[in-house]
Amino acid sequence: MISNQDSAASADATIIVEGLERVYSSGLRAVDGVDLAVAAGEIYGFLGPNGAGKSTTVRILTTLLRPTGGHASVAGFDVVKQASQVRRSIGVALQEAALDPLMTGRELLELQGALHGLRRAESKLRADELLERVDLVAAADRLLNTYSGGMRRRLDLAMALVHRPMVLFLDEPTTGLDPVSRSSLWTELRKLNDEGTTIFLTTQYLEEAEQLADRVGIIDHGKIVAEGTPQELGRLVGEPGLYVKLIEQSESGRARDLLAVHGAVSDREAGGLTIRTSLGARAIAPIVRTLDEAQIEVDAVEVEEPTLDDVFIAVTGHRADEDVTEDAS
Amino acid sequence: MSTRGLAYTGGVGFALWRRSLLELARVRGGLLPTTVAPLIFLLGSLGQFGRLDQLVGFPTTSYIAWLVPLSCLQAAGFAGGATGANLARDIEAGWFDRLLSSPAPRPLLILGPVMAAMTRCIVPVTVIFIAGLLLGPGLTGGAYGLLMLYLAAISFSIVAALWGITLALRAKSQQVGPLIQNGVFIAVFLSTAYTPLPFLKGWLAVAAPYNPVTYVLQMGRQATVSGIEPSWAHTWPGLLALAAMMLFFGLLALRQLRRIDL
Repeated sequence: MISNQDSAASADATIIVEGLERVYSSGLRAVDGVDLAVAAGEIYGFLGPNGAGKSTTVRILTTLLRPTGGHASVAGFDVVKQASQVRRSIGVALQEAALDPLMTGRELLELQGALHGLRRAESKLRADELLERVDLVAAADRLLNTYSGGMRRRLDLAMALVHRPMVLFLDEPTTGLDPVSRSSLWTELRKLNDEGTTIFLTTQYLEEAEQLADRVGIIDHGKIVAEGTPQELGRLVGEPGLYVKLIEQSESGRARDLLAVHGAVSDREAGGLTIRTSLGARAIAPIVRTLDEAQIEVDAVEVEEPTLDDVFIAVTGHRADEDVTEDAS
Repeated sequence: MSTRGLAYTGGVGFALWRRSLLELARVRGGLLPTTVAPLIFLLGSLGQFGRLDQLVGFPTTSYIAWLVPLSCLQAAGFAGGATGANLARDIEAGWFDRLLSSPAPRPLLILGPVMAAMTRCIVPVTVIFIAGLLLGPGLTGGAYGLLMLYLAAISFSIVAALWGITLALRAKSQQVGPLIQNGVFIAVFLSTAYTPLPFLKGWLAVAAPYNPVTYVLQMGRQATVSGIEPSWAHTWPGLLALAAMMLFFGLLALRQLRRIDL
């Protein structure tokens, strides 16, 4: 496991979690000694299959659930002893946007404003700003039961932003969304992060974590099994690969022998080869030179970085989209 | 509390009150169940027991005068109980998480719905009262009697709402809805709902004097029952019973709210 000590356990971390545990009355240990730290301004991706303990962790960090062991603080406040201060500092969008279908988007934003102590006029102004921001001006006065899944998610995000929180918790924000809605939500999250908001994001989608997160923690059976930047985690799988496609498939045997000096070579479909080398992209030039000198024509060379999917399988032994036997989240 | 604190409390209470009442404005027939059921009980009971008023010692010559305050109380109880069922729905849908993750003080999260229950019960209580008046009994208790009837009904809706909220927070499931309404029904039934205390027999004659609803009914009956004339003596036991029930169920609801681990 890559340690987070260097980068994140710094004194200015916005989220600090130490030995966090949650054991349900049934005996299920949903969160089992989680340690993590998220620096201010970071996007932290919390990755794991259904039932791994992601949502339970988020519910503890957002003061909705009490831990049965360990400590956690958010924005400098203890989630148990200073829950009220934590709630003032965070924005929360939990799984499956819980929105009242009998209210309009604008009414919901204004209600959220009232809950966070905004005066009526201030609340109305902020609702207008946020509706504009999440592109829901045209639908603002329609009842929620007329909104699509993507619109509901965008409104949910807007509600979490009403009081300009320091830290934003998003529990599987794009689950069930179509690719266009997902991409538009990602853009908005990047924008928010650029403005300084710390984002703690749980997801089952490896692509989402790769696209958004500065660092990723992988949780499985209530424990963090790997943590680091997507690049650091990629290295857990092994050396990056270079895919070489030859014009003449018949040359692949000779090419394999020649390229063995650069790294471990394996055959791919249609006469292609993969060379595993610690040099990564820096090995492209010597490889092409070797093949050129042997008069073997190259069609294409691509660097193949390991994906978080590969990492997940490597550290947990199963895929991220497989549910854990007993649902803990 | 500072002015800003008061403004915040008022703002949150008003926002949650308004939200709880939206159902009435936006769901056609939202008030029908809590209005129609007591109205049917009123008419059904009148048909079943209408001649009880001919018994010697019955405190009124009009049985419907005896029943109207009961139906008003039932309507208020059902309207209050619906608050608990709605809260259970909010918990299941995840809406209550949103409220719990906000910095709003916990008691305010139930104050808004309780205020809505008080407002919501006025419609069925008024409909039943008017229907009852049209069926015969006069307003024998005058303005004071009418005030006591509304005070009893509205306060009883608060009690029912707090009972419903307690159960909803405990069960976190809409399945608790029938239990909430059954509780209201039983509390009313085990009182002087259909006959005065001297006419009760056996276990009910023993239980009814200990049931606070008996005294709440007496307070409300000052409006229409000629034999229960408007007086402080007929008012204070009801007020005391309501205060005790509000305190008891209010503390239970707050305790459950503090313990909630969704």
